[in-house]
Amino acid sequence: MDLQKMMELPGAVAAFTFSDRGELQSHVLREGSEMTPQVLDLLARSCVANLAIAGMEARGWEALTGYGGFEPLKGFSVIGLEWSVVVDGNCGVVVKNRDADYEASFNAVQAS
Amino acid sequence: MHIVKQLMVIPGVIAAGEYAYRGDRFSYKGALTDEHARMASILCRANTLMVNMQSEIFDSFSENCGCRPVQGWIVRGNKMTICSVGNYFAFISNHQEVLNDVMTIMRAKVGDVQDDLLVNLYSKLGGDTREALY
Repeated sequence: MDLQKMMELPGAVAAFTFSDRGELQSHVLREGSEMTPQVLDLLARSCVANLAIAGMEARGWEALTGYGGFEPLKGFSVIGLEWSVVVDGNCGVVVKNRDADYEASFNAVQAS
Repeated sequence: MHIVKQLMVIPGVIAAGEYAYRGDRFSYKGALTDEHARMASILCRANTLMVNMQSEIFDSFSENCGCRPVQGWIVRGNKMTICSVGNYFAFISNHQEVLNDVMTIMRAKVGDVQDDLLVNLYSKLGGDTREALY
């Protein structure tokens, strides 16, 4: 996974990878950003939890309603006050809300 | 124009709606049945509650880290996406630029979600929810 490439996304302040258990494995931080490795470590754990829950919801929604289109899950994003985190698989990127391109961010984490 | 109507004008938006943080009311437009809209509202409320809980934990580690209060979330599926900002939600197809257009409208029209979100989410507890929470 090329984290430096992900840092080229509009508004990117951090890119990171994590294990299936949510342990932060590697990260890149934009110099001068307020994001810290400690927050990224917590974020990675929440990402694994959120992807698992979203996967359950997608499967449940399709089974209960008969609508398709959600599975396989292609990612999850949390939009905070100043930044958003976009994740899929074992990779995530944090982008500033004012510059965020969500489609490009989802495409980037899916490709990695 | 109402936010839901504005969202429904965007090509690729399948349905959009508004749910009460308390979980007992919803309204919507688009290709959902009443029962599915009710389920969607419950799903949205649950996810909003979950990500807010997480942001409270982030904030306790790193105060003013820029995540709190959470503004919304996105579940990206293979061909469809659900996005929620504040107490509005939209089901959209994954055509190019639809997600960015929807997020731009939602963020601009809903505005910044304030810190009283959790109080509203928990208001069904009854009594003085603010006192119970803080």
